[in-house]
Amino acid sequence: MSAAHTALHDSPGVPAPDVGSPASGRARGLAVLSGGLTTALGAVGVALGLSVIFGAPRHLRIGWLLPLVGVTFDLGPLGGFFVAATGAVSIAVGIYVVGYAQREHWVRFSLAMLPLFVAAMLLVPAAGSVTTFLLAWELMAAASLVLVLTEHHRGEVRSAGGFYAVMTQLGFAAILLALVVLSAAGRGDAFATIAAHSGGISTGTRTAVFLLTLMGFGSKAGLLPLHAWLPRAHPEAPSPVSALMSAAMVNMGIYGIIRIDVQILGPGPHWWGLTLMIFGALSAVFGVLQASVATDLKRLLAYSTTENMGLITLALGAATLLSSYGAHQVAALAMTAALLLILSHSAFKTLAFLAAGSVLAATGLRDLDKLGGLARRMPGTTVMFGIAALGASGLPLGAGFVGEWLLLQSLIHSPHDNNTLLALTMPLSVGAVALTTGLGIAAMVKAFGVGFLARPRSAAASAAREAPATMMTGMAIAAAACAVFALAPVLLSPVLRQVLAAVPTVGGAAAGPVLGAYLRLPGLAGSMSPGLIAAALLIAVLIALGLARWGGRRRPASAVAPLWACGADSLSPRMQYTATSFAEPLQRVFDNVLQPDTDVEVTHFAESQYLIEKVTYRTLLADPVEQRLYLPVVRAVTTWAQWVRRAHPGSVHLYLAYGALGLLIVLVIAR
Amino acid sequence: MSWIAKIARVGRIVEPALDAPKTTVVPPTGIAGSLQLRHVDAGSCNGCELEIAGAFSPVYDAERFGARMVASPRHADGLLASGVVTHNMHQPLLNTLNSVPQPRVVIAVGDCACNGAAFAGGYGVVGSVTDVIPVDVEVPGCPPTPQQIITALRTVTGR
Repeated sequence: MSAAHTALHDSPGVPAPDVGSPASGRARGLAVLSGGLTTALGAVGVALGLSVIFGAPRHLRIGWLLPLVGVTFDLGPLGGFFVAATGAVSIAVGIYVVGYAQREHWVRFSLAMLPLFVAAMLLVPAAGSVTTFLLAWELMAAASLVLVLTEHHRGEVRSAGGFYAVMTQLGFAAILLALVVLSAAGRGDAFATIAAHSGGISTGTRTAVFLLTLMGFGSKAGLLPLHAWLPRAHPEAPSPVSALMSAAMVNMGIYGIIRIDVQILGPGPHWWGLTLMIFGALSAVFGVLQASVATDLKRLLAYSTTENMGLITLALGAATLLSSYGAHQVAALAMTAALLLILSHSAFKTLAFLAAGSVLAATGLRDLDKLGGLARRMPGTTVMFGIAALGASGLPLGAGFVGEWLLLQSLIHSPHDNNTLLALTMPLSVGAVALTTGLGIAAMVKAFGVGFLARPRSAAASAAREAPATMMTGMAIAAAACAVFALAPVLLSPVLRQVLAAVPTVGGAAAGPVLGAYLRLPGLAGSMSPGLIAAALLIAVLIALGLARWGGRRRPASAVAPLWACGADSLSPRMQYTATSFAEPLQRVFDNVLQPDTDVEVTHFAESQYLIEKVTYRTLLADPVEQRLYLPVVRAVTTWAQWVRRAHPGSVHLYLAYGALGLLIVLVIAR
Repeated sequence: MSWIAKIARVGRIVEPALDAPKTTVVPPTGIAGSLQLRHVDAGSCNGCELEIAGAFSPVYDAERFGARMVASPRHADGLLASGVVTHNMHQPLLNTLNSVPQPRVVIAVGDCACNGAAFAGGYGVVGSVTDVIPVDVEVPGCPPTPQQIITALRTVTGR
């Protein structure tokens, strides 16, 4: 954190010294402008998305913007769904950033890039042709990279930015290749033309396009093993940017998979669905495992994104697989689960990152082991993070519950008579989802319990102040969305039905689940009512409170007693559970997967071997995928680059000779 | 199912209950037959602890008279203190007593807790439990037998 920032903490309650000066007034104006523009773009996105979901698709062609092909926009219900989701996230983030940018002293460049990033994200699902799509995609990647590098004076940020830049460009290369192959085989640049000719595309081309898009879009969605940029870029980016990236940008990877592999090339063969399910399940379990042992709050949330994207991909894969076996009813269920999970993840992850940003702005800390005690000092932010954590846990009353319930129902109810593949995959997937949800609860209990409850573990945490009104408003909007997903998914029912109808290759004409006050699955056993569960819980709590009051009416007045500290004089924050100690049993159980590097060093007194002077405990949790997969590649590239470097000795004559040689070769070839 | 037959064959192995002693202390909760106790070893040689463990063992089974050991003073109606009060345990004993809700009962087990016995006046000793905190029931003996401890507990539980 910057020096100015630390100075702010030393005087809690005292306004920042530069408030009221012309410079700060200007900074506020710029922040309001940037945030307002972001919010306005978001509102336009929501309105546009809803209008195409319920109305006619919109077409727009700007011929002069790009030479030769022009720019084509073609927004249907599926694109409208993603535009609306991105817009909704942007509304919350735009309002939040007004307060955040002033607190964190954002530079003008970052403020200018934020609306541009949102605009690029809104253009990606609206793109109607391969060229436009690639243009918008690259604009989105570049804008997000610049925003990740906002605090570029810190070394970690530069390293994360480098990692992100390389991975996003490699992903882009895969997508570029896939779409070029696709448009060549589909005899056109526009997606509509390709879709019309998709029947004539050969199996080999389809396979190549599927694998390349899975790689490219998978890396954007943070699927294993291409997730490595997420836990680096998300923690180091400013929190509103993390929220946009994690809640809106990664969705674009899912959008790409649905658009290309399900809508245009679907229905795919069995193994497409199976591949999606395997990558989805692996990402979900690995992501949540890393999240449950992470001690950095934003790193934990980033891994949780990998987990949720994994679940969504699993649902997509299940829909594809079931559809290819003709079980359209259940496939529609899985697809609805995927769409609902996308929406709910966007809502609770926006809220979680914004709340983490409030904590970061107030304390300068992301390390859970140094936080704590924020419930007293930042009650509003604590409630907000609580709502987000409940949503991420997939428990009733949480935003993620309905989607995960639908996913499990679709996996359980998949017909597998005389079909070994389905009979094997579906129960295994149920296991993976169950394990993911269970560990997800542990991760979120850790983030909330260790980060916000008990006593502060550092001076910075005990000096925390509540976030300003604009930041709270931004979070409140996301929290309201979480409440809708948790209690009244009926409101989303018309949207989901329209989008499902726009993906005819999955589910076919079969009706999706009925998301009324009661969730019903047509033709299947099983129904659930999140609203009734909430009402029953509320009534139970009220009854318990009433009974306690009635029972306690004759009890003497309560007395204030000293805190029970097992006979010791007082408890110290050092006695509390830390994030590390909370996750230690899990780390032990999953030792083989996580491969932690732990080291316990016991120093004895010189006088006696029985008396311990001090114990040092060190643990290093590196991502095993990174260690095994990325490091060798990086090493090989470095070696190769060193070798190539010999051809660059700095001699101008030699470079001229290279040029002449190159020209000669071109002339010979193009003779 | 042979274990059910075995239960029937073995029968009850607990020591027969003696006649109930006269109740001398009003049960702190106002309910006879329920006494939740937190034990504090203020500096005992662990002789009394062994006998207390014996009193709550299946053989003597103090729980059939309504006395129970609990883990936290917050759950307790009273304190079961044993041993002389050493300097190190003086404050913890007071902290524990203050953590027991009122009204409460304090039972001192063993000679050391009642009058300091052989350790009275020692350099590491503050005094007996009776010197440090108000005691309602004293159980003499070095150590007292489980039967004596149970009899003392029954004067509080009223069973």
